[in-house]
Amino acid sequence: MRRLRALRPLEVGERGQERVSFCGHCAMPPAAHIETGSRVCGHCGLGLVLQASSDIVPRGDEPFLVIDSTLSVCAVSACAEELLDTDETKAVNRHVADFLVPADANAPSAENLLVLLVDAASGSGEPRTTVVRPRQEFGVRFRARIGPCGPPHAALLVLTV
Amino acid sequence: MRTLKTSEAATLLNVSPNTLRAWERRFGYPKPQRSAGRHRLYTHGEVAALRDALQQGLSISSAVSRAREALSTDTHTLVGALAGFELDRADGAMECALALRSVERSVEEVLLPSLDDLGDRFGLDSAPWAFAARWADTWLRRAQRLAPPPSRPLAILVGDATRNELDPDALRVRAFELFCGRAGVRVMALPIGCVNGLGDVVGALSPDAIVIAGSHASDDDVARWAYRVRAATGQLPTALFRRSQRASRMRNAAGASVLPDAPFGAQRHLLAVVDGRRDEPGDTVVAQPLINAPREARA
Repeated sequence: MRRLRALRPLEVGERGQERVSFCGHCAMPPAAHIETGSRVCGHCGLGLVLQASSDIVPRGDEPFLVIDSTLSVCAVSACAEELLDTDETKAVNRHVADFLVPADANAPSAENLLVLLVDAASGSGEPRTTVVRPRQEFGVRFRARIGPCGPPHAALLVLTV
Repeated sequence: MRTLKTSEAATLLNVSPNTLRAWERRFGYPKPQRSAGRHRLYTHGEVAALRDALQQGLSISSAVSRAREALSTDTHTLVGALAGFELDRADGAMECALALRSVERSVEEVLLPSLDDLGDRFGLDSAPWAFAARWADTWLRRAQRLAPPPSRPLAILVGDATRNELDPDALRVRAFELFCGRAGVRVMALPIGCVNGLGDVVGALSPDAIVIAGSHASDDDVARWAYRVRAATGQLPTALFRRSQRASRMRNAAGASVLPDAPFGAQRHLLAVVDGRRDEPGDTVVAQPLINAPREARA
């Protein structure tokens, strides 16, 4: 019997942006032909499939972190593990400031890194950009895109290297 | 306790068996036991806790962390029960632990860490520690009585060199005895201080190996006891368990092997050594020199 590709409804966010699924570890989109109902990534098996709007979702090898509303790190991508010289298993449940701190001294308080993360983790914040640097590293700055992801509600912080 | 094969655990978690093995390598969870045929056996409670955590998780790491937290409630409950002198609640905490884990893991992951916590909190000379240690000693002996009858043609003599039942090492020695008993081995523990009539008892047991456990008794006392054992049985493989400060000196002097500090690790290590030697051609146990006899005993 010929196998028919199942039609999937286009998921749309609050602002009309398409919601894109990706793995919280390898950033790959879930394999469309596997409809197991599992949230575990079928490519690497080491991450859960998350969703975010298409303008925030990590592209290519962009490192990213997932942070909850208590500002604890919940997921670290494979690229971010390499960039921040850490391991997801050691980074989980630690405060985001243990890894990244704001690097834009001129940014108004509304664009403070932690405020942006809390807003995004509540699910209501719009994608924003800011500048960050690794903790105890000077002279290295990254532009970061921050926006909501989930489920459950969390903040996605994508670094542009 | 319900256990699952790799394929069953993978189905419950909706992942492939390869993914499950990858999680074991990366996260150390779920941590399987091994069947007699060396196949992985997962405890249902661990897998179910992970499945629930995955549904609300943002990553495998955070789900594993949450599942571990859910399972560690047994330890908190046991510590709370013993600190509050509630024996029924302590028994209940161990029953809950046994619903999710094997006896070995319940003892090593719940009972012993809880007792360590209480020892640190109250001190080893305190009444709360004595209360908790007595309860744990009784629990381990009760569990030993419920162990299946010996099924292996193997007997181990344990020379108990601990101070008394309040010695923290004593609980590990009781756990080691329990685990050996559950593996079908005949075990007899005799205090190092009891040497009169030792030959008769040892002759009745005819042990295949000797374990000297605990660090309280002096080397001279141990040597006196070991000499009497050797006089009754001839030379046998000897191992040291929880004899930390004295281990290296005695090992050098007597050629005894040192077992891992964890009771289950020690049981596995000892059985691997003894079983391996029994499988050698001729089915003979290779003798190792026993502890050197004290001067007065040699005289």
